Amino acid sequence: MSLLLRVKDLEVSYGAVPAVKRVALEVPAGEIRAILGANGAGKSSTIKAILGLVKARGTIELEGRPIHGVPTHRIHQLGVAWVPEGRQLFSTLTVHENLEMGAFARGDGPRFASRVDEMFTLFPRLRERRGQLAGSLSGGEQQMLAIARALISEPRLLIMDEPSLGLAPKVVQSLFEQIQAINARGLSILMVEQNARQALKIAHYAYLLEVGRLAAEGTSAALMASEDVQRVYLGG
Amino acid sequence: MDLFFQQVLNGLMIGSTYAVVALGFSLVFSVMRVVNMAHPEFFMAGAFGAYLTIRYVTTNFFGVLAGGMLVAAIVGLVVERLAIRPVRGRYVMIPFIATSGVGIALQHLAERVFGSDPVAIPPVVPTVSYTLGPLSVTRMQLVTFAIAAILMLGLRYYVRNTKWGRATRAVAERPDVAAAFGVDVNFVSRLTIGISALMAGAAGVSIGILYTSAWAFMGLLYGLKSFVCMLVAGNRHIEGVMAIGLLLGVLEALVSGYITSTLRDAVAFGVLVVVLVFKPNGLFGSYSV
Repeated sequence: MSLLLRVKDLEVSYGAVPAVKRVALEVPAGEIRAILGANGAGKSSTIKAILGLVKARGTIELEGRPIHGVPTHRIHQLGVAWVPEGRQLFSTLTVHENLEMGAFARGDGPRFASRVDEMFTLFPRLRERRGQLAGSLSGGEQQMLAIARALISEPRLLIMDEPSLGLAPKVVQSLFEQIQAINARGLSILMVEQNARQALKIAHYAYLLEVGRLAAEGTSAALMASEDVQRVYLGG
Repeated sequence: MDLFFQQVLNGLMIGSTYAVVALGFSLVFSVMRVVNMAHPEFFMAGAFGAYLTIRYVTTNFFGVLAGGMLVAAIVGLVVERLAIRPVRGRYVMIPFIATSGVGIALQHLAERVFGSDPVAIPPVVPTVSYTLGPLSVTRMQLVTFAIAAILMLGLRYYVRNTKWGRATRAVAERPDVAAAFGVDVNFVSRLTIGISALMAGAAGVSIGILYTSAWAFMGLLYGLKSFVCMLVAGNRHIEGVMAIGLLLGVLEALVSGYITSTLRDAVAFGVLVVVLVFKPNGLFGSYSV
């Protein structure tokens, strides 16, 4: 199995405050991998470091090619798309314009129209709302748009930061089913989640962060079975 | 009533240039969260660019306009490199002070080169007046308004309907996310400064020809008034900034016509105080710092 993303010895600090310490993780092609942990464990900082949005030290490689220090917009051009925490849509742009921004690096043209159509098939609610401002959508619809905006760039790696945050349990359920369906079509996913139980249900493998350090890692089945993980993260 | 309509007409002609200068101010602030205090000097550079073009190159109006805009754009890119790029993303007062410094330096550079008195700009547009009933308007007034209108509509089209305009709006709202979708934020910033300088430069050419002079310190009051337009309108909607620019021109003309022209320059600041008391984010809403 080929390795899509490889992160080694990652260190992120904000001023004198370290947020991520010697974190290592990998995403093989075709898998869903999750980063779990409490608030402030360094999950989002890890992701922002991969995207080039915060300064970091260490090794970050995409398909063996170092991307550490590469500007964020170029990392995207290499096939990394991001579903940010709290959606972070362009709220003053319409649904359709948000999709156009998703495809910014790809250019428009006839291919774009068929991609938009695919997104509307995946998320039919968005079709009805295409002319509406993104800021006026419901939470669930916003999450769909955030995912569609990322998918329309035809990434090789999809990075999702807290996709379930602020969504009703029922919506979370169907969202995770959709994420699984997207992965089944071959897209590799790296997901940050506080909702460990849900994440472990669909992830193949997961990393556990505690105050910036890697505390445990393993297949989802192994982590589910681990007593420590049960106690701390799954409330068992 | 004739005086009223005549002053409204005069006000719209001048107000259109306030709007053009204010739009650049507002665009740069929205996209970069930088209050570019050197922006008024783009306006001044446009007027001197017109003067230089007339003196050394051509007296053809379109040539003069292009010359003025070009000089303003060059000054704009210099300001970006010297006072904005090194301090971008820092606390808002830092680029504010850096651009103020470069602005003051530009004024005094112009004073060194062109002297402390205004230089005369010959009338490259024939001094012809048109009358419509009791109203009269000069050709240069109409040209000024037409250029401003084209720039405003052009900017609106660019921001709303083009790929880079859309990216500009995306950067204004969420620079990090825009970058993560492949937008080179630094390029968008430079493009935005360039556009703002071209627009202010065109206004400088118009005002320079209309008032037949260019002066090292002409940007001060003019820029301040445009800044006021942005604050009063808020920087979220370009239509709001356009409307307030036009309105300010009309109010000033009415105060000059009915009260006294010495109060003219107080109008903008009076309106600003009243608006900020009741709507601190401006009439149409603002992006926060």
